[in-house]
Amino acid sequence: MIRYTTRCQGISSVARAQSRNLLRQSAAATLFYSTKTTTPQENKNDIEFDTLGSPITRGKNSAAASKEYKLPKWKEALGEYVIKTFGLDMDKVRAGPVAGSYYYSICKEQGLQYENEPLSESAKFFYEELKLPRTFSQWFQVTILHEWMLFVRMRAMPFKYGRNYQQKLVDKTFADIEMRLFDEMNIHSGRIVDQYSKDFNSQLKGAVFAYDVGFYTDDATLATAVWRNLFGGRKNIDYAHLDAVVKYIRSQLYVMSRMSDREFALGKFKFVPASEKVTILSPAEEEEMKQRVIKKYQDLDKSGLILPSDRSNLSYEN
Amino acid sequence: MSSYQGVKEGAKQVVRLLEKFPDERFKYLVSFKKSQLERFRRIAGLPVASEGGAANSTAQITSINEIKDIVNRTSGPLGLQKDMLKKMQAAIPHDQFTEASMKAQIVSLTDLVNNKYKNYYDVGDKLYKPAGNPEYYQRILDDITGQKKENVFAGLRTVFWGK
Repeated sequence: MIRYTTRCQGISSVARAQSRNLLRQSAAATLFYSTKTTTPQENKNDIEFDTLGSPITRGKNSAAASKEYKLPKWKEALGEYVIKTFGLDMDKVRAGPVAGSYYYSICKEQGLQYENEPLSESAKFFYEELKLPRTFSQWFQVTILHEWMLFVRMRAMPFKYGRNYQQKLVDKTFADIEMRLFDEMNIHSGRIVDQYSKDFNSQLKGAVFAYDVGFYTDDATLATAVWRNLFGGRKNIDYAHLDAVVKYIRSQLYVMSRMSDREFALGKFKFVPASEKVTILSPAEEEEMKQRVIKKYQDLDKSGLILPSDRSNLSYEN
Repeated sequence: MSSYQGVKEGAKQVVRLLEKFPDERFKYLVSFKKSQLERFRRIAGLPVASEGGAANSTAQITSINEIKDIVNRTSGPLGLQKDMLKKMQAAIPHDQFTEASMKAQIVSLTDLVNNKYKNYYDVGDKLYKPAGNPEYYQRILDDITGQKKENVFAGLRTVFWGK
């Protein structure tokens, strides 16, 4: 139906996305997304997720640098052996690559922009439609808005795992901010970077708190939280913008709420672009989707073909 | 003239909608309801005196420590370079309402006040009472509404065990 290859540009990355991690006939998104532009060729009823987190396009630790690298087969086998013999809890181990790497990368890319460079599709929504200033701290606000949405879903996972996922996401955020401040914003003083990090930390706490309250109470409160954080509390706000952001948030949370723990923890979630409309599922569709997910993971678990590193104990039924 | 009247009427409607906004349960640096009411009362030609009076009385109480506090908390914007501030100013839209744009404001505000999206995109108890921490949101809300204040031990428990 929709092919998610646009995220990584360039022929090689498209080929890469096609060569692995195909999630054919999968649950979540097939029924959710309705695009305005679906060409006949694309209408294949399959979705491709690229879970390896390629969206970070530059910087020292970018995925582009590690894209070509592939673990030698013997190391892979050794890894699987270690996991099997020591019975490692892969749900715990997976928090790093999924939450820290992949989920952070999709939060980061939403508002990522560089001066004198054209904006990406998602960034256009924030900087052109919502008319937000193109600054570093605005990028941070966009990023934490998305992170908070993921936090909401992570809280619904078993506590031990959800907490770990949240921790990894926050750790990666601050490691990356520090790196960006040094490398991209050209700040040479460690003291100033520390100061900024502390400031960002308190912004994060405040934003999570305000969004939580808004999410739980009503749209009006959520809108004021968005106004205070994302829009920096500016006086002449266009309410249509607030409305659009609240809708955006609620729709993303809806998509997440319809995913099982297993899928979410494996990194199958991706933010729905702001230009697409999320329509809610009818109870029948929801049931059908649930059954499909259950069948898929039951078959996988039973087949015995699954590698020790791909195993998970998280529920696929909720 | 008629369009001017239309904008004015629209602004009155916006004020009525804004008054339906819930009072903020927590004291923030800026209040959405207050600042927006002031903004639209001015356009609607309604008196803003009540807010003004309140602002005056608080202005007298504002101590030097509070000012220092505010300046410290807003270190980011104050530390910006001039050209950057200019750029930010240019990006921010200015208040010039037409009848159509005022209507758009009313439609959006009505959506928000009526909880349109919360009801439409209903996430259910799965997210409102998350499995990992079912009491999470209720605890926050109880605390800020003052219904159930928690003691130090409950706080410490959250610090050490996370819930």
